[in-house]
Amino acid sequence: MTDEKGQVVRLEIDSELANTTLIAMAVRGLCAMTTLSPVEVNRVELCVVEIVNNAIEHAYGNEKGHKVEVGVSLLKACLMLTISDWGKSMDQGKLGSRDISVDPDDPAAWLCSGRGLPIVQSLMDNVKYQTVGDKNSFIMSKQIRN
Amino acid sequence: MPFESKIEAGHTIVSIDETRLDASLSEPVRAYLFDQIDNGSDNLIIDLSQVRFMDSSGLGALVAALKKMGGTGSMKLAGAQPAVTDLFSLTSMDKLFAILPTVTEAIEEK
Repeated sequence: MTDEKGQVVRLEIDSELANTTLIAMAVRGLCAMTTLSPVEVNRVELCVVEIVNNAIEHAYGNEKGHKVEVGVSLLKACLMLTISDWGKSMDQGKLGSRDISVDPDDPAAWLCSGRGLPIVQSLMDNVKYQTVGDKNSFIMSKQIRN
Repeated sequence: MPFESKIEAGHTIVSIDETRLDASLSEPVRAYLFDQIDNGSDNLIIDLSQVRFMDSSGLGALVAALKKMGGTGSMKLAGAQPAVTDLFSLTSMDKLFAILPTVTEAIEEK
């Protein structure tokens, strides 16, 4: 993370899963202004979608009518994304595990959910979660080659 | 509904006619695949050639269907695009699923 301000845009959607696509497409467009490769852009899109979905599903319990805000900062050396909600805070302990390994011989252990955060943590260079007042923010960044 | 199925060479081929298999579509996909399995389809091929983006919820729907098959029959994926194959690789799900370039190759693969 950096104190450099750079260029910043804020996007806002209502808490409905179908709206996540709007954020995804907008972030893809902003990524096109950077030196991120096509694979990296796909991965940034995936990370944004996972965290916006988390906000809708867990902070708001899939209830429509609430605000999800996404701030995108294009800094000199990195892309910083801040996804904010005003719902139920996330348990910080969920940021601890990055393990998404799987045992093909143990079907009972194949997870059908819960991979979103480990994926984000493995793909982004920095992630942190903070609650200030009633605002929860997931902040993540990806380094950009100059 | 953005899914359709057909029988070909003893396989049930389910086509996902959406560009995004994400959290907004994962439950309908899971339910559709469960219906196919409940109706006796035990050699499934999921045609993902139209899907340009998949998130962990979409992935979870496919894993749920694979688990439901309980080790009987087969479930293969066909036509996965780069962002989708990347997701499977990142999550090691490529160890669970046979991923073939096309439906034809999925049918021919033993």
